[in-house]
Order: sequence, then structure tokens, then C-alpha cells
Amino acid sequence: MIQVDGLTKLYGEFVAVNELSLMVRPGEVMGLVGPNGAGKTSTLRCLAGIIPPTRGTIQICGHDLARAPIEAKQKLAFFTDEPRLFDYLTVWQHLVFTARVYGVQGFAPVAEQLLQELELADKRNALPSELSRGMKQKLVIACGLVHAPQVIFFDEPLTGLDPLGIRRMKDSILKRAREGSAVIISSHLLHLVEEICSHILILKNGRKIADGTMEEITRRFSGTGGTSDLEEIFFRATIEEQAGAAPSSPPVL
Amino acid sequence: MISALLYLQVTSTRNRLVTRIKRLRQPKYLFGGIVGMLYFYWYFFRPILSAPGRGRSVAFQVPGLSPDLMEGIVALVLLVVVLFSWIFPSQRTALTFTEAEIAFLFPAPVSRKGLIHFKLLRSQLAIFFTTLLLTFFSHRLGGFAWIHAAGWWMILSTLNLHFLGGSFARTALMDRGITPWGRRLRIVGLLSVFLVLTGAWIWRQLPTLEPGQLKDPEALKDYFLLAVDSGPLGVLLYPFRLLARPFLAADSSVFLASLGPALVILAVHYVWVVRSNVAFEEASVEASKKLADKVAAIRSGNWQAAQKNFKKKRDPFVLAPAGPQAVALLWKNLISAGQSFSPRLWIMLSILVLSVGVAVAPTLGRSGAGPVVVSIVGILFSWTFLLGPQILRQDFRQDLQLMDVLKTYPIRGWQVVLGELLTPALILTALQCLLLWFGASLLIFTGLKNIPGAAVIGVALGATFLSPVTNLLMLLIPNSAVLIFPGWFHSKDAVQGIEATGQRLIMMLGQALAFLLALIPGSLAFSAVFFGLKFAVGALWSAVPPAALAAALVLAGEAAMGVLLLGRVYEKFDLSDELRG
Repeated sequence: MIQVDGLTKLYGEFVAVNELSLMVRPGEVMGLVGPNGAGKTSTLRCLAGIIPPTRGTIQICGHDLARAPIEAKQKLAFFTDEPRLFDYLTVWQHLVFTARVYGVQGFAPVAEQLLQELELADKRNALPSELSRGMKQKLVIACGLVHAPQVIFFDEPLTGLDPLGIRRMKDSILKRAREGSAVIISSHLLHLVEEICSHILILKNGRKIADGTMEEITRRFSGTGGTSDLEEIFFRATIEEQAGAAPSSPPVL
Repeated sequence: MISALLYLQVTSTRNRLVTRIKRLRQPKYLFGGIVGMLYFYWYFFRPILSAPGRGRSVAFQVPGLSPDLMEGIVALVLLVVVLFSWIFPSQRTALTFTEAEIAFLFPAPVSRKGLIHFKLLRSQLAIFFTTLLLTFFSHRLGGFAWIHAAGWWMILSTLNLHFLGGSFARTALMDRGITPWGRRLRIVGLLSVFLVLTGAWIWRQLPTLEPGQLKDPEALKDYFLLAVDSGPLGVLLYPFRLLARPFLAADSSVFLASLGPALVILAVHYVWVVRSNVAFEEASVEASKKLADKVAAIRSGNWQAAQKNFKKKRDPFVLAPAGPQAVALLWKNLISAGQSFSPRLWIMLSILVLSVGVAVAPTLGRSGAGPVVVSIVGILFSWTFLLGPQILRQDFRQDLQLMDVLKTYPIRGWQVVLGELLTPALILTALQCLLLWFGASLLIFTGLKNIPGAAVIGVALGATFLSPVTNLLMLLIPNSAVLIFPGWFHSKDAVQGIEATGQRLIMMLGQALAFLLALIPGSLAFSAVFFGLKFAVGALWSAVPPAALAAALVLAGEAAMGVLLLGRVYEKFDLSDELRG
């Protein structure tokens, strides 16, 4: 479970995230959406323990990320939009290394199964330079899942994947959620968020402007037209916030 | 069209320069710039400004070499450089453009000739700086600076054109089905025929050297001059001599007289390159991708990744899933360092080196070469301390670009630090122990009478105790700098220029100072135990190992404290600033 209270992240004078509070329970998938510069990536990096928050608390499965970072990080996995791999380790060596870092006893069958599931079995001795972008992404996922995390963060998970890869990624996310993981996905692809997320959080200028289940969000922003399209809801929410007035249609480019 | 390309080149250079000047507002670049400028002034400009022959015609001369001999040697060196450029490269023609240049210029209505001109124009900037640097060096040997600069420019520009023309020719050969190895065989075959012909000509035409002449340097010089001045070699070297003459000119009149032929050679090369009709676009796109990766690696501070073509490497040892996580980092970094660092190989190497040491020592002792070999081993041993930590960077300096990945791992800070330090420390220690005991076995078994065996063993044993902890301490310093001053290592701006040189100098001086300070407690412990034992029981050489062990324990304590402290720094390390650049 993820519980965040009053998360604030400052870069000097600039407020990247402002008093953000949220909760994601096991089995829930929260979509973190917002325009560019809304603070999505900063939020995820704080939640993953990469950067320290300026203020606020983050609990991962009951462990305070600031006070018990090891225990908290043991439970989470963070997948960035760009696959970040060690150039000199093969696919299998990445898994061996990750297993030791997380202390995964008897990791080999789990790793083998992940390689099969992610169609990397025949690439086990390949270096990252020999893999396509999609395959690198799959390797990052295999490494992230080898310790069976209970909390998963995805930053733009579909970037660079082909249609089949996208389908598999969606299935994989939903499978982890069904197995009890709490998942947060940051994405600009609103149809993805709409399709797989049970909850939505809309960020703008570092502030939460709306959150709740899909139904709650739809109800709040559907207006007189009664639309349930997330794209329309997103524009209404962000423009309403910007204008501080009644919702209007997005500008046509 | 060329005006647009010229505009691109000029504005890019100007903007780069402006960016560099602007960044001097940041203290790290300002201090780096000041130190860098002082360094360049002291080592390059000052000798020119204070040269005794400034303003007068002091001929350029390498001590012991006559102008004729110099010309012959320079021509021969140029020939070898050119031959290498025909023999070794295997890739197709690749005019290296940046990815942006490819995206903008390749689809644009720019002729291939225009692209070549752009490439030539751009290479002139690099040639200009290389010319400047080489002039600083060569001018120390006398002559006019402007003649050196013009001479270097002529040589470098001609070589640049030759390499480009050569790469076009190699591609044309590949297009005709001649593989790189086929080309190499043909060139080496032609070279062999030429060498046989030259040998035969020397045999027939030149007087045979008398045994006494072989020991006379003057006679050998004359013979060399005869061989390179006339006959087949003389003909082959002639264009290279013409190219070298402006650079070697003693005064302006000689320079002007030699300029014409050199310019003709340059012009011929230019025509050759511009008229070559070889497709280079595809290879250029590939090369630009590699260039972009290399630049990205360098900009993120990972110089080694920029140099490397990674190859699959065996696991150095079996990494069990349970146990200290620092070992996982050691395992990872050993793979990065290369499979040559497996424990099995080191054990075999140790046995081999010691066996060879013991076997050859008596022969060396009889021939009198023992002290020379031991001195060489000693120098290599010292170099491992001086250069080892700079060369072996399988630590935070390598992993800084993946720090965000490391930060997500559930590992205590001290374990991360220890794991990062272990690989270079282990490799250096193994190397030092090998050299140490090889040298020691040579000293003992060569039978050098003035050095007692007990002294050799005592010192070697002491050094063995000190080696690992000293390495850990030495590596702790640059790694601390990475975490405490990451901006000096990890910059989104290109790490180039005078300010970058200054930054490196400041870092080196800081590291040396910190290391010397860190050694003080260890030195005190060594002195206390050594002199204590000496005065108490009269031991001299046998007091060295216990004294070294005491020093090693103190240094190990320092290293442990350093690892713990740096672990805390790592845990508090805020990537926010770095991510924002």
C-alpha cells in the first residue's frame, strides 16, 4: 500500500510538487496524469526514493521511506520511461545482480519464468546494446519484478513499445494488480490510463486538482454533456483550474 | 548553399563559445578556468614569450639531429602514418556528422560535394586547435612560431584530406568486392615487394657498413641519409619531404620557397577528395549514432563507456542470491573491468610470475641486468599507485550516470560505497602484489650482495600489508569527490576546454593533498612500532612487517570510517540538483 501525506518537492524556489496526499491500496491502479511540468516525474521519483522530498511523508507497505528506506525499497519497483541498464551486463547477469541486491532466495526459476513471459529467453546472453528498445524495456521489467514487489511505479510505461508489446504491458500491469500490488502509472496516454486504471489523480503545477475513482472523476467533470471520455475530462479539469472559471473546450491547434 | 553551411559552422562555434563564457559565472567553471589558464600560460605561452630566440631566427633543431636527418625522419613518420591509414581501418567511409546535422542536411537540397565541403570546413576548427597545441610543443626547440604553425597546418590539413580520400578509396574497393583483409594483404604484399627492391638496391648501390661503423652514430646517420635520399625509398619519400619542408624551414625565405610544392600536394588531395564519387551517407548515419552515444557517455562523465565496445564477459565468480549486497556491486564491476580479472586467472598469473622470477633471477644476476629489471618493476609498482586509481574507474565514477537506478536499491549507503570501491582496490592490490613479489624474488635470487634477503622479505611483506588499505584510501578520495562535488564530474555541458583542464588539475591536487593527510596517522603508527621494536629488541628489517601491519590497521580504521561517512553522504545524496543539471 502507498500512503503519501503532504508531499512537497522544491527545486530551489520552484515548487515541483505541492502538498500532495494520496493513497493506493493493494490491487488498485492509480493513473497520474497532468500536463507537461505538472510534477508527475518528480512525484514518482520521490515515491521511489530516488530524490528526497522537501516535506511530507511517504509510506510504502507501512514503512516510512525516509526512516526505513531499506525496508520500503525492498517492497517497491520503479520503471522509468527510458530503460536504464548496465552496458556490460548480459540479460541473465542483470537478473543475477538484481536478485542479490534484493536478496531473492531461489530466484532462478522466477527469473526463468519472467524471461519466458517477457519473451527474452533466447536473449539471456545478450548485452543491452544487442537489444531493441522494447526488449530493453522488458529486461528492466524482468529485473523489477524478480523480487515480487508489492508496490510498482511506472513512468510512461508504453514509450517505445510496439502494439504487441503495449498489449502485453497492459496485461502485465493488470496481472500484478490482480495479484495484490499497488500500482501508480504516470502517462500522457489517457486512453491507457482510462483502460487500466481504477483511480485517477490529476496534477497541475505540482498540485492535485482532482482524484478519485474513474466514476467519481467522470461525475465531477462530465458537465451538462455527460461525457465519460477521460481526454475531455482532462481538458476540462486542467482548463478549469487554469481559468478558475467554468469549463470550456480545449484550444484547437 | 555553402554560405548556409558556413553560417551553421560560424554560429555553432560562436554559440558554443558564448555558452562557455556564460558558464564561467558558476564558481566551479571560473576556478577551473583560472587554474587552466595559469597552467596553459605556464607550460605553453610562457616558454614562447620568454624564449631566448624570440624575434630572432633561431633554427628549429632537435638536439643531435641535423636538418637533413630531421627531414628524412619526419618524411618517414608521415609515410608510416599514411600506410597505417590504408592498412588498419575496416569500416566504410563515414563522414562523421552530428545527429542534428544528419537530420537537417541529408534531406535538404545540399549536394554531396557541399556536404564534403562542410565536413572539411568543420575539420578546420579541430586542425586549428591541434596546430596551436603542436606549435606550443615544437616551438620550444627553436624556430619561428608562425612557421611552425603554418607547417603544422599544412601537414595536418593534407593528412586530413588524405584520410578522407583514403576512406573513399577503401569504400570503393569494398564496393568492388575487395574485403578489408583482401585490401590489407594486397597492401602488405606491395609493401613487401617494395622493401625487397629497396633492400636489393641498398645491397648493390650503397657501400657495405664495416663492423666498426655500426658503433659509430655519425656513420649510421650518414648511411640512413643515403638510404632515404636516393633509390626507391628516396622516390617514395619525396612527396612526404615536400610536405615536411615548410614546417622545418629555418626562416621565412626558405619557408616561402618550400610552400609552393606543399600547396600543390594539398591541392591534389583536395581535388581527389572532392571528385571521389562514393556513397557515404548510410555509413555516416551509423557513425553519427555512435558519435552521439559517445558524446552522451562523455557528457555524463562516463569516459570509459565512450571508449568501449562492450563484449560479453564471464561471471568472475558465482554470485549467490543471499549475502552482503556490496559483493553484488563488486561482482558487477568486476564484469565491467573485464573477464581478465577472474580469481583463477590471478592465481595462475601469480604462480607463473613467481616461477619466472625465480627461474630467470640467477641468469639476470650473472648478466648484471638484475638491478635494471628490478628498477623497472619498481617503477611499474609506483605507477600503479599514481595512475591506477585514475585508470581503474569501476566505481562511482562509472556508476554516476546510473545513480538513480542505484538509489532505488534497498542497500545501506556504506554497503554501496564499499561495493563500489572494492573492484578497483582489488585489482590494484593484486597487480601490486604480483609486481612486489616478482621484484622481491628477483632481488633475492639474483644474489645481490648489498641487499640482505631479510630486508627484501621484510619490506615486501610490509608493503603487502599496506597495499590493500592504501588502495582503498586512495580510491575513497576521488569517490568522495564524486558524491560531494558531483557537478565537477557530472555535467550536462561538454567536459571540454581550458576550464575542464583546470577542474581536473584542482581535483588532482585536492586528491593528492587529502591522501597525504590521510597517511599521517598511519605513518605515526608505523614509526612508533618500528622504532619501538628497533630500540627494544634491536630488530631492523624484521620490524618492518609488524610496523606495516600497525600502519595498515590504522589506515584500515580510517578507510572504514571513510566508508561509513561516505555511506551517509550517499544516503543523503540529492539527485534533484543533478537531474535538473
